[in-house]
Amino acid sequence: MAENSAAYSSLWIQCARSLEAELSEQQFNTWIRPLQLVADGAVVKLLAPNRFVVDWVRSHCLEQIRAWWTRHSESGAEIVVEVGSRPVARRDMPTREPEARAVAAPAPASASALGGRLNPAFTFESFVEGKSNQLARAAAVQVAQNPGSAYNPLFIYGGVGLGKTHLMHAVGNLIQARDRGAKVAYVHSERFVSDMVFGLRHNTIAEFKRAYRSLDALLIDDIQFFARKDRSQEEFFHTFNALLEGQRQIVLTCDRYPKEVAGLEERLKSRFGWGLTVAIEPPELETSVAILMSKAAAEGDALPEEVAFFIAQRIRSNIRELEGALRRVLANARFTGRAITLEFAKEALRDVLALQDKLVTIENIQKTVAEYFKIRVADLLSKRRSRSIARPRQIAMALAKELTTHSLPEIGDAFGGRDHTTVLHGCRRVKALRETDTRVAEDYNNVLRTLTA
Amino acid sequence: MAQLPLALTLADHASLATFVAGDNEAAVQHVRAVAGGAGETLWLWGAGGCGKSHLLQAACRVATAEGLRAMYVALGSAQPELLAGLESLDLLALDDIDTVAGQANWETPLFGILNEFLARRGGLLLAAAVSPAAAGFELADLRSRAAGAVTYRLKALGDRERALAVRLHAEARGLELDPAAADYLLRRVDRDMRALTAWLDRLDRDSLVEQRRLTIPFIRERLTGGSSE
Repeated sequence: MAENSAAYSSLWIQCARSLEAELSEQQFNTWIRPLQLVADGAVVKLLAPNRFVVDWVRSHCLEQIRAWWTRHSESGAEIVVEVGSRPVARRDMPTREPEARAVAAPAPASASALGGRLNPAFTFESFVEGKSNQLARAAAVQVAQNPGSAYNPLFIYGGVGLGKTHLMHAVGNLIQARDRGAKVAYVHSERFVSDMVFGLRHNTIAEFKRAYRSLDALLIDDIQFFARKDRSQEEFFHTFNALLEGQRQIVLTCDRYPKEVAGLEERLKSRFGWGLTVAIEPPELETSVAILMSKAAAEGDALPEEVAFFIAQRIRSNIRELEGALRRVLANARFTGRAITLEFAKEALRDVLALQDKLVTIENIQKTVAEYFKIRVADLLSKRRSRSIARPRQIAMALAKELTTHSLPEIGDAFGGRDHTTVLHGCRRVKALRETDTRVAEDYNNVLRTLTA
Repeated sequence: MAQLPLALTLADHASLATFVAGDNEAAVQHVRAVAGGAGETLWLWGAGGCGKSHLLQAACRVATAEGLRAMYVALGSAQPELLAGLESLDLLALDDIDTVAGQANWETPLFGILNEFLARRGGLLLAAAVSPAAAGFELADLRSRAAGAVTYRLKALGDRERALAVRLHAEARGLELDPAAADYLLRRVDRDMRALTAWLDRLDRDSLVEQRRLTIPFIRERLTGGSSE
């Protein structure tokens, strides 16, 4: 059998080569490259990552593959294409066996009952504490040490890329470290919704419910994704109640305070507030520096403090972006064999920083918008309210809101001392118009590209 | 007598061997590492013809050779359903990601993919005409995750590097193109590599059909509108 497999694999490589010569490069790389061959007795299976690929291969080249196979193999094996992936030894634990996935042909691979798996790198030890996240961290440690009884649910909120997901995984990891048998699942809300839809469609909703309700701890990320998904909210509400009644721990994250999530049922919002609600703020400079140093150390690289300060000062938006910049510096150093100095970091991040520099000033936005609409910057700052001036002004305000970290009152000040409500109105107006008026959408995108290209 | 060209042309598949890095050496090395199994997310951006699609497809080729499961998707010509289940791949290369930004039916599955690849440290290569911040994602979470990728701006090649690239691509097709003819071609076609390789394809085919060598007069004839049919 193993011999068979090896022979079949080498045949498949040759067969793929012959297809490569006939298909366009793009077609080959999209439809043929991801296929995996599995020999199963007298059947040779080509496993595709999803139904879409299966359909394409069946209608465009299955005949060809079969003909090729008949010419080159004496086995007489039947060739079929179906959804699945070759079983592999994985670090993580999918809740369904890989083989089972291969058999359940119509199921997208994302349909495993619980998407949840914990990232072992996200621990409390690797979480850098600062003023901005102290409270959230302390609460999370409490929860991990006393799951189900300290604060339930624990609700962590804050902007994107500030470490909410890290804290959440840390809770899960610590719970499991203290109790190996604890059933902990980390699930992104979007995944919860799609799993539920899958369960409804394939009549496995009972299994879905059972899986969620038997957990010791459920960690649900970005619950703002539940907004306006009534059926998912309903299901989540019951899951939530069942877990809470059984004194199982729930940790939730969201990009804003629960009460501010539009499209979320009141009864859910109120329940989210039953335990403890804590915020994570953007990190102050020192915390950013500490985060960079700790990440570099975790990768086994030494990062001089002045380089860490340099990166932290220049990239202020969020920690994810900060880490992206750091990885870029570390990778460049690794590939070129050069030491990480301030000069080296500046060079490695040149295009990233040029972008940041361009992004940050309101003046630059005003200048670019004025040039684009063939008006003067002074017009943008003036009291004039004719459409030909007011619209560009609103677009400039919206861009300032999107591309800079300035507050609404600061943007108002920079536009001839306008009130922050005027800025807010302008931003909302532009957002609405971009959806309904293609010209506004186009203008906006053109200026955006000029500013960031 | 016309000759059927198909069986005789040598395929010039996107590979890292024919990719001239120029100022993009760090990006190419990083792509190579990801293709070899380093689980990272890279965002490559730059103007059309600077080599994004070539790099992405070459990376998939490397991954396959390493025994990894890889797939390339040009999002501009695909449908969102194609993304279902791709989380399980070892290497996923998504081209033209900015062309689908702002569309909810694309952004939700894209977000799922970014999340999964980040969580299990899969190899994800994203390519766009613009930087993550300028791509125009509506979903703040998607924007933030995209911004967390290691980004590289791919720069266009200089003249000397383009000459080298043309030579490599010609060799890969089994074409004999002397330096003077290569120089002639370089000076007369669009600067981007896509246009150049498209011309090489055409010259390759035409020279076979007409059984002529790639001389300057022959190239001139083609460039000034001589049809190959």
